[in-house]
Amino acid sequence: MSVLRTVIIALVLLVMQMTIGHRIAIAGAVPDLMIILVVALVLPRGPVLAVIIGFLLGFLQDLGNASFLGMNALAKSVIAYGIARLGGGLIPENVLFKGFVIVVACLVNDLLTLCITTSFSIGTIFMSFFRYSILSSLYTGVIGVIVYSAVELLTRRVVRSGAGF
Amino acid sequence: MHFLSFLFDKHLDKTVLAIAVALSIVLLAAGQQSKIENAKAITAVLLYPATKVGDYFRSVDRLERENSELRAMVATLYQERERLEQFGEERNRLRQLLELRADPFYTFLACEVVARSTGTFFRSVMVDRGSADSVRVGMAVIGYRGLVGRVSRVYPHSAQVLLLNNKSVSVSCIDRRSRVVGMLEWERGNVFRLEYVGKEEDVAVGDTVLTSGEGMLFPRGFPVGTVFRISDERGGIAKRVSVSSLANLGALEELFIVTRARDWNDTRIYDELERLEGKRRPGEGQ
Repeated sequence: MSVLRTVIIALVLLVMQMTIGHRIAIAGAVPDLMIILVVALVLPRGPVLAVIIGFLLGFLQDLGNASFLGMNALAKSVIAYGIARLGGGLIPENVLFKGFVIVVACLVNDLLTLCITTSFSIGTIFMSFFRYSILSSLYTGVIGVIVYSAVELLTRRVVRSGAGF
Repeated sequence: MHFLSFLFDKHLDKTVLAIAVALSIVLLAAGQQSKIENAKAITAVLLYPATKVGDYFRSVDRLERENSELRAMVATLYQERERLEQFGEERNRLRQLLELRADPFYTFLACEVVARSTGTFFRSVMVDRGSADSVRVGMAVIGYRGLVGRVSRVYPHSAQVLLLNNKSVSVSCIDRRSRVVGMLEWERGNVFRLEYVGKEEDVAVGDTVLTSGEGMLFPRGFPVGTVFRISDERGGIAKRVSVSSLANLGALEELFIVTRARDWNDTRIYDELERLEGKRRPGEGQ
């Protein structure tokens, strides 16, 4: 995937996150669309590149809420490193597994951001985590599975039509 | 050196992560105002293409609005131009009339056509001058190019002008070059025939035909038409002289009533005409 295409997709996702993110919320759980992209980009890459991608995409997300500039950059860098380090060769080429990775990544992301926004207030972190984060992570995972399936389906069709020529 | 090698060769991934985390913490620790300003600046750079696209679409809307306003303005200006062109044409015609008016031999009364008859053989127009302006039945009426008819009825503030292209109108005319006299009668459209011109008379194509003044109905010397065809009448003794009128009788707008001529101010003819047509005298409320 070219850098320009990645930047465009990231910007589109960011705009979607900021505009329709709250409209598609279920019981207050807002999906984190940027994590879907982070997982998709860092899975086949090494940790160094993964950290850079995670940092940049997180930073891009932070621009939407400048009060916590650096929060998402930090969280996404850590997540990207974790996925690239642990999941690179271990996660099978299966959409459901990728969905699971998204759920875990979302949980870690929420945990880190809650720590930063609540200044490590354990009680609030636990309450918010169980109240919103689990549902939000599952929701993001489901969306991720749908998106990945759609992309795979489209890719197969394009490959088939290309082979026909 | 050994330390750098340790960081960037053996543990590059961890070093990059540490730098990213450190950078994030620095960003988080920065002042609120500074964060917002930085975010604004970076967002402006990143969203510059999108801003440009947005500006483009906004400019399209603005241009569409401006275009529709300009179209309305063009329509208005077009009408204004048409109106001014009409004024210009009217001014030119009036200038030509005024040149006639400057002729000391005649006295003219300028008038404007306000209505036209729809009859096939009895063609006339109504003008906006009447007995209140001393217009009388029988007075000759000219356009800026030549004779067009005579006043047939007079009302206080309007008058009916019987045009030359009328079966009931005959005009005694004279060839300006050869002074041959004939009687002009309408044939069709703007085409007339000069009657009673002998076979041996000297009339040529291109000659201008003027009113002769004989019969006292029309003043002498007004151009009426131009000879455009001459043929011998089969077995006859007269020539067939076709004349096209100088004035376009189908498109009259400003006319001029000949109210007085220096050597043609005998009003007996008017009295006679009025008597013949059984009309009351002008000014008595027709």
